[in-house]
Amino acid sequence: MEEESGEELGLDRSTPKDFHFYHMDLYDSEDRPQLFPEENPRMRKEVVQAETANESTGAGDGKAQSDLREEVEELVHLYGLEDDHELGDEFVDENMPKMGVSEYPPYGMKRRDPAREQRDWRLSGEAAEAEDLGFGGWGSAGQCQDLREVYRYTHGRASEEYECYVIPEEEDEEEAADVFCVTCKTPIRAFQKVFDEHKEHEVIPLSEALESAKDEIHKNMYKLEKQIIDMENFANHLEEVFITVEENFGKQEQNFESHYNEILETLAQKYEEKIQALGEKKKERLEALYGQLVSCGENLDTCKELMETIEEMCHEEKVDFIKVSVFYTNRLGKFLKTKTDVEISQLMDSINTIPAPSAPVINPQAPNSATGSSVRVCWSLYSDDTVESYQLSYRPVQDSSPGKDQAEFTVTIKETYCSVTDLVPNTQYEFWVTAHNRAGPSPSSERAVYVTAPSPPIIKTKEIRSCEEAVLICWESGNLNPVDSYTVELTQAESPEASGVTESVVGIPTCESLVQLQPGQSYIIYVRALNMGGPSVRSEPATVHTIGSYFRLNKDTCHPWLAISQDGLTIIRSERSTPRREPPPSDTRFTRCVAVMGNLIPVRGHHYWEVEVNEHLDYTVGVAFEDVPKQEDLGANCLSWCMRHTFASSRHKYEFLHNRTTPDIRITVPPKKIGILLDYENSKLSFFNVDLSQHLYTFSCQLHKFVHPCFSLEKPGCLKIHNGISMPKHVTFY
Amino acid sequence: MITVSQDQQLDRRRMALKQISSNKCFGGLQKVFEHVSVELNCKMKFAVYLPPKAETGKCPALYWLSGLICTEQNFVSKSGYHQAASEHGFFVIAPDASPRGCNVKGEDESWDFGAGAGFYVDATEDPWKTNYRMYSYVTEELPQLINANFPVDPQRTSIFGHGALICALKNPGKYKSVSAFAPICNPVFCSWGKKAFSGYLGKDQSKWKAYNATHLVKSYPDSQLDILIDQGKDDRFLLDEQLLPDNFIAACTERKIPVAFRLQEGCDHSYYFISTFITDHIRHHAKYLNA
Repeated sequence: MEEESGEELGLDRSTPKDFHFYHMDLYDSEDRPQLFPEENPRMRKEVVQAETANESTGAGDGKAQSDLREEVEELVHLYGLEDDHELGDEFVDENMPKMGVSEYPPYGMKRRDPAREQRDWRLSGEAAEAEDLGFGGWGSAGQCQDLREVYRYTHGRASEEYECYVIPEEEDEEEAADVFCVTCKTPIRAFQKVFDEHKEHEVIPLSEALESAKDEIHKNMYKLEKQIIDMENFANHLEEVFITVEENFGKQEQNFESHYNEILETLAQKYEEKIQALGEKKKERLEALYGQLVSCGENLDTCKELMETIEEMCHEEKVDFIKVSVFYTNRLGKFLKTKTDVEISQLMDSINTIPAPSAPVINPQAPNSATGSSVRVCWSLYSDDTVESYQLSYRPVQDSSPGKDQAEFTVTIKETYCSVTDLVPNTQYEFWVTAHNRAGPSPSSERAVYVTAPSPPIIKTKEIRSCEEAVLICWESGNLNPVDSYTVELTQAESPEASGVTESVVGIPTCESLVQLQPGQSYIIYVRALNMGGPSVRSEPATVHTIGSYFRLNKDTCHPWLAISQDGLTIIRSERSTPRREPPPSDTRFTRCVAVMGNLIPVRGHHYWEVEVNEHLDYTVGVAFEDVPKQEDLGANCLSWCMRHTFASSRHKYEFLHNRTTPDIRITVPPKKIGILLDYENSKLSFFNVDLSQHLYTFSCQLHKFVHPCFSLEKPGCLKIHNGISMPKHVTFY
Repeated sequence: MITVSQDQQLDRRRMALKQISSNKCFGGLQKVFEHVSVELNCKMKFAVYLPPKAETGKCPALYWLSGLICTEQNFVSKSGYHQAASEHGFFVIAPDASPRGCNVKGEDESWDFGAGAGFYVDATEDPWKTNYRMYSYVTEELPQLINANFPVDPQRTSIFGHGALICALKNPGKYKSVSAFAPICNPVFCSWGKKAFSGYLGKDQSKWKAYNATHLVKSYPDSQLDILIDQGKDDRFLLDEQLLPDNFIAACTERKIPVAFRLQEGCDHSYYFISTFITDHIRHHAKYLNA
């Protein structure tokens, strides 16, 4: 094809023109709706002609075609009309055959030079005018002239005008031409054939040439007619497109409008609703306010009236005032009476419906519900009963003096329980209860005996004995009446990891308890007394250290000549000559040997204590069974094991006496402090010089019972006991 | 280099020990060794008990000095100390009572002088001074030998038996504790002592004080020595005034040296008496050695 050689001119001219044309047409369609259908085919034709003038319309065709397509697409895009796709496609499709058709004319035109010349001229004219077109637009006269000429030219094919154009010329030149020179394509006279330039030319008779020319013209005419029909079809189609576009736009306009209307309607509706709601609210508020205003006014009036009345009353005489007040009092009385009547009538109603309750059932005392001064009494009612209150009565139970009436106490409560306070500890109380409602009181319940918790016991701190493994703790009951049992609570003191952990020994029937402990610790011990009602509060605490063995001297065993210090650990025999009258024999008290016993805890284990002595003092220290004969010297029987020191004529004598016998032991350094180790496990009793860590002697003794430390002073002086101390290392070897 | 020489010395000593016997006893071993004594210039035997605890660590050493006519065998076979020594974890070393086989003229003439009666003195008189240096042997040579050959703790050493009082009193601080069974407390006033000292030390009685317990205690610097003495009440040598413990006790009382002297009713001078109280004595030492 010849697309490459496509002339710029034609393209430039046709495409923008088309562009503008369609654009303007579509935009300004309303301005000249009638003109367009007519003009369109014409314009189209002009374009076609312009293109046919070029040898290479293919290029223009292709280009124009693609431009058109773009154009259409742009249009479609611009108007957003979906319908236009179809339309646009149609439009383009229609164009193509047209372009194809337009290729024919050049073929025919080659044969018709004058037409060609004229067109060439016109083409150049148009080219010159193209610039004007840009400015002048469609309204210019020159353009219109042009169009008309084109129109005429194209339509002229079918008219005589076309023939006239050619044939008169022939007739003018030669009247008697009879033959046709094919070579020169001119009618000539027959004689001319003989000579002249046509001598060697092919010559046919004129009529024959005419016929052939006529045929050719007819052929061309036919083609042109066909072309016209096509053009008309195209114009028609464009018209259709125009109408469709118009219709579509119309439709869209309608849509928009209806939409717009809808929105407007909705808005209006909303507006109406809101306004109405607002109005209603306003009205409501106003009414309320008005009501308030009115009541305010009324109040104001009343107040004014009252003020006036009061002012009047103030101004009135006293008599009148009294009268008025009487009046008002009456009024008030009346008023009050009416109210009371209502209540009475209600009461009357209820009396008719509710029976008096039956006797409540009093519960036995719940364990651990009492304290030393209070008990919690509970009872229950029959579910059918209506009870407004209960009356709880109580009095202490007194076995001894039944004749003497004890004071009774009564409390009124609404609940089915009552904590009765201000009672005496560890005391039994009789309780009974009646239920009350409007109909009256119930019969009395059975009598139940409740008991208050005991008072706390009192630990006998001076009688506490301990060793590494245990403590023996004694206490006074603290209660006149017997209690059920005692509880010992102990916590480790001074050990943060064990703080708060309390061990308890429960159910102790007596006022004494031996509690196993860990060695080397400090414990705080409390005792509680328990009875049916519950436990007492804690006793005062006692502190126990499980370091060594701790005991005190037993004053009950103490010989009268001996004095024991306040702490129970120092024995004094005073210089002052005491009455030498011997005390009567006793089972517990030493009467002959000036001795005293200690109260060692009855635990089989190790016990160690020390005795501070004077090296010139005559003393005896050791252990003895509790039932050791109190009239005999210590060590003078098989119930005691002792070390005796005697100092005579500047010689120290140390005896280790049991059953009156002693080994012969010489000790070169008199001990100032004697350590005594009692070892039940190994049945041994050892004596040490504490300061030297010197072992003095060890008894092997069968301790079938518990022994107690014993001490005696054969001369005035004192012994000081150290206990509650840990055992020195050196004694552990014995 | 010093280390090497010490090692060589130790090796020499170790090599010098010849085991004569070894018997398992209360978990430990009762052994007898022979070695050549430098002090005594003769082959010497000694018995040593290795306690079970010696397998895992160092143990204290307790030296037993036997009395007259004894060898190392008397104590190990008669006293019955093993159980207590095993329990407390003691090495118990029992040397012979005198040099043996030295062929010193007159050494075998009497039972209370010469062989079997060394009296734990360093003799200064001929012909005894070459061999009869038992004091140096038991206080110097033997402990070095023991320390080099056995896992003992040299800081924890005690001594008991016949010559123990003298060794302890002459070396304050060397022994942690001391005890004795029926010791000759004041030899200068007894016939045994007079015979032995004049033979070993010469006629100058002032030299005898160095081996007189009752005299030594008077100059003992402090009272940090806890002395335990058991004495059989029926000991014929006590009755013969060979032992004279009262003099010693009096001296100790005066000097405030702590002594517990236990006169044991009915006991004699035999190993029956010793075996009765051997456990008390070992416990006495344990109090200081295992403190």
